[in-house]
Amino acid sequence: MNRLKHLPTLRITPGAARSFTYGKHTFEGLQGDTVATALFANGVRVFGRSLKYHRPRGLYSLDGECSNTLMEVDGVPNVRTETTPLTAGIRVAAQNVMGRPELDLLGVLDAFSWAMPAGFYYRMFHRPARVWPLAIQQIRKAAGLGRLSPDFRMPGRFDEIYPAADVCVLGGGPAGLSAALAAAERGLRVILLEARPWLGGAFEYRAADDGDGVALHRKARDLAAAVAARPEIRVFTQAPAIGVYSDGQVTAFQRGGPDQSFDERYIEIRAAAVVVATGCGERPLLFEHNERPGVMQPACAQRLARTWGLLAGTEAVFSVGHDLGLEAAVDLFDLGLKVAAVADIREDGQDPTLVKALAQRNIPLLKGWVARKAHGGNRVTGATLTSVNGRFHRRLTCDLLAAAAGLTPATGPLTLAQSQLAFDPHTGYFLPRTLPKGLQAAGRLLGLESWAAVTASGRRAGLQAAADAGADCQAAIRESEAALRDLPGAVRGSKFVIAPGCGRKAFICFDEDTTVKNVDQAMAMGFDVPELIKRFTSAGTGPGQGGIPGHNLPLYVAQTGLSPDAHPRPTTARPPLVPTLLATYAGAQHDMSKRTPLHDLQVACGGRMERVGVWTRARRFTDDPRCRTEILNVRTNVGLLDASTLGKFLIFGPDALKALQRVYVSDMARMTPGRAKYSAMCNDDGCITDDGVVVQTAENDYYFTTSTARAGVTVEWFRYHTRYDGWCYHLVNLTDAYGVLNLAGPKAREVLSRVTTADVSNAAFPYMGYREMAIHGVPVRALRLGFVGELSYELHVPSSYMPALWDLLMEAGRLEGIRPFGLEAQNALRMEKGHLIIGSESEQRTTLHDVGLGFLWQREKADQRLVGAAALMQTERQPGRLKLVGFKMADPSGPPPRDGSPIVDARIRGYVCTARYSFTLKEPVGLALVEDGLAQEGARLAIYEDGCQGQLTHAVVTPYPFYDPEGRRLRQ
Amino acid sequence: MPSVSLKRVSPIALPGRPARTEECHGWPVVLSYAEEGGGPWVADLSHRPRWDLQGPDLDRQQPLGHTIPVRPGEVHLAGGLLINRLNASQAALWHLAGDFPEPPTDPALTEVTEATLCLALAGSRLFGITEKLTSLDLAAPGHTAPRLLQGPFGHVPCQLAVFPGPPGPPMLVFTCSRGYGHDMLHAVLAAGEEFGLRPAGQATFEKALTAHIH
Repeated sequence: MNRLKHLPTLRITPGAARSFTYGKHTFEGLQGDTVATALFANGVRVFGRSLKYHRPRGLYSLDGECSNTLMEVDGVPNVRTETTPLTAGIRVAAQNVMGRPELDLLGVLDAFSWAMPAGFYYRMFHRPARVWPLAIQQIRKAAGLGRLSPDFRMPGRFDEIYPAADVCVLGGGPAGLSAALAAAERGLRVILLEARPWLGGAFEYRAADDGDGVALHRKARDLAAAVAARPEIRVFTQAPAIGVYSDGQVTAFQRGGPDQSFDERYIEIRAAAVVVATGCGERPLLFEHNERPGVMQPACAQRLARTWGLLAGTEAVFSVGHDLGLEAAVDLFDLGLKVAAVADIREDGQDPTLVKALAQRNIPLLKGWVARKAHGGNRVTGATLTSVNGRFHRRLTCDLLAAAAGLTPATGPLTLAQSQLAFDPHTGYFLPRTLPKGLQAAGRLLGLESWAAVTASGRRAGLQAAADAGADCQAAIRESEAALRDLPGAVRGSKFVIAPGCGRKAFICFDEDTTVKNVDQAMAMGFDVPELIKRFTSAGTGPGQGGIPGHNLPLYVAQTGLSPDAHPRPTTARPPLVPTLLATYAGAQHDMSKRTPLHDLQVACGGRMERVGVWTRARRFTDDPRCRTEILNVRTNVGLLDASTLGKFLIFGPDALKALQRVYVSDMARMTPGRAKYSAMCNDDGCITDDGVVVQTAENDYYFTTSTARAGVTVEWFRYHTRYDGWCYHLVNLTDAYGVLNLAGPKAREVLSRVTTADVSNAAFPYMGYREMAIHGVPVRALRLGFVGELSYELHVPSSYMPALWDLLMEAGRLEGIRPFGLEAQNALRMEKGHLIIGSESEQRTTLHDVGLGFLWQREKADQRLVGAAALMQTERQPGRLKLVGFKMADPSGPPPRDGSPIVDARIRGYVCTARYSFTLKEPVGLALVEDGLAQEGARLAIYEDGCQGQLTHAVVTPYPFYDPEGRRLRQ
Repeated sequence: MPSVSLKRVSPIALPGRPARTEECHGWPVVLSYAEEGGGPWVADLSHRPRWDLQGPDLDRQQPLGHTIPVRPGEVHLAGGLLINRLNASQAALWHLAGDFPEPPTDPALTEVTEATLCLALAGSRLFGITEKLTSLDLAAPGHTAPRLLQGPFGHVPCQLAVFPGPPGPPMLVFTCSRGYGHDMLHAVLAAGEEFGLRPAGQATFEKALTAHIH
């Protein structure tokens, strides 16, 4: 296809060819093309098929506001080809097609549209009930656009950026540019977001002038150059705003390219003030077959020619309701397009200059006429025009029908920012009635059309935003307001929506194949307000985010006179305003997890690392998921566990003990030097939230541990529960400062004694003892505990020394057969011993009593207002609670049940918390929370497992600890 | 039992070829890297001593002989010591350059060197890198003196001391939980790749810090 050349508005580079493939064809486009314009230049008119009826769809708006031109590009489905720059070598394919876009076998569905009325899937195929599962399968197969395999990985480089500004301007048209300049002149930092690749908005491609002889595109480019020259203004092009939130937060994404470090990046802006200058789009005209390939918006046809040098047809009919439509007809005629006629919905009020220009070119202007029907199949072949009263018709031959009912403001950002919009009968727009603090609106969005008024409006908004951001510019604001008052105000707009005499196929939403008939059906069923109709018919819920139905839906509903909404109200817009890739939201995809100081060493030892909460930890060190050798080695020799993720805290100050008394259930005043005290924390409901040990290291000085999961909230927990007391104490989170090595097993003492000169004998360092010792000069806090049920030492070591200590202990224990063990082995070992993990053997409603730890509660310390004391009192003997029990399987030769499996009879009576095969006991054992009626020893538990097909397994409640119930091994 | 000298390990290892190194209090320290370039650069300061200071009357305290800034967010740079006022009852002390001081005996001071990763980033395009990692407005104009911010950096809670410059180059020194070290470095290097971010040693950092002091 020959391109128009030498136009000053062109954005393509003639001669810079870009080769790409479309299906089996190899095409060439030009640098500056989008994928859609390159396809159009190569004769492609049918880009894809519609969602429901598989109707052919083509180029309509060029800004990606509908699904018409969604295609598969380089294997990525649903790419908006209208806004995707063409790059050499890409592969493009049509989607939602069985066959070719021009000949889609599923196109036959269009003939059966009568069988798919609004909300048909809510009402049909439901009786008899057995039909629905079959029907839903077929509906799901047919629904949706594009195909994505489950293992699809999004190609490309994605990034994120969080710039800050004083003023953020949405829209790079003359209003936005003027606003940015006005704010920048006040020395403020400005960010300007523009969805298109260049600035200038609706003016940058127009050859018309504003009465002063200077083409609008020249003015737009001069203004853009002025903005580029201001260092205070940071411009992001190809960056549509997708969200506007309170406190000046604006989100957007930006398309990059080969010359940039990203293909797409997420942008999150914090600004003191926001200016919305997003302009207008053309409001679709509703008539029969208004979405045939060859029907497009007048601005689409004009931009195709002016920006990409492509004439959209050879002979055109225009059906418009605004002066820009007339201007487009004149301009395209001058560029070589034959214009058969221009139908204008308006009886009067046209710009006389444009009327004269049409007459000079012998283009018939039919005032009070409108397109009624587009003829043709895959391409438009003609149009029937009708007078707006529906009495007179005229059929014309054409291959382009440029149609729009008028203009509609892009109010999405205003809606997101909680601006109240109200219908304005003069402009036919939804205009902001109130603007939230820090938000300004400007430009064509407000109904202004002349260059002077639009730029003055932008300047005023920019100054007001500057004032919102703290600049002193009241005098300048008053001047700008005075200047604006002297300029043409908002122009009268068209409220026309639908041509008379439409049949079944006038589409209000292209994405969802929603017709006006569907809207009528919904209203007949009682869905009589736009928000309900939107949901019942799906109008505006497709990938275009309501860009095409836009304001037509509320306008049409109001015009029916059947809605209780006498005044049109726009439907709600929600972020993202423009479809955004999940990969873009993911940004740079840095998975920020914590590693212990022993991470690399454990990997070198064969550790299988897993993400556990915020940490990455070693689950096991062998291929055996049951960790037999790791478990038995701890029971018979000695093992080494990295327990660095434990929460570790220092609390000091004259009121430190009071704070401990407040949150720990035990009497913490009974601590003795050199001894560790095990205790637990509850919430106000008496439910157990944490456990750990506390040691007193000096007067008013304590060191304590928490579970890994609670480490991040412990400081807040203390502060919250002592917030009214005015106590003087201080907390330092040392979780990352110390690594923890758990040396456990009957030979642990022998190993430890080889690396320290400290006396670690049973007498000198007994069970539950605490010692501060040195290991080759490294200060170590040592606790003799027994979580896994064996003699064990918890060595708290400065993190930087952890690798050295690990190596030292592994070498020292070589003769004893020391091996590392991981979380899975630890879990089995501690469960055999009956030691709990809060969160595994408890849930949100589990009290201290429920898990058998009521003995920790010191009820006499009422004066300390222990957190949860009242609830502990109430629930101590409360019937009907789930109680923690031990169990063994009725058939010990079977496998243990899976964690979380329900315990049932006629209903659910509890669930398995943890169950493992015990290599020590040589049978499966477990812990479960069950209703108190099942908690007695010997009670039989029936366990339902996913996939058991009704075959329950059975267990018997058994006393626990299962292993070493007397605790001799801990104390050996 | 023969005594063994145990080595300390930084939470991270910068991906560069060390040109000059030394051992300092058990820490292997890179003084400079080959091909450090002119910036932007990133230096690992995790070995430098840091303390948490808490107390009800911070305004009257003089840790290591220096006064504490009055308002939260204020920073006092004295020699190699940076004192950051965090809130009404808490301050952070980072000894970033010079000989290691004697460990203070004041019980209000808790050594937290091991608790955090400490990195310095500097260079004329510093804020191009940092805005990829944080929504905090590190580049806010109107600041000439160093200041402290607390908030997310690389989606992780951090304390960030910003040196806007001049006279020194724009510089950021920040700490985060040591456990995030590996992933934080990954995020910083990825963010800085397009700007040519390179590793730098303690000597380069000290030179930049000196410029800010003067």
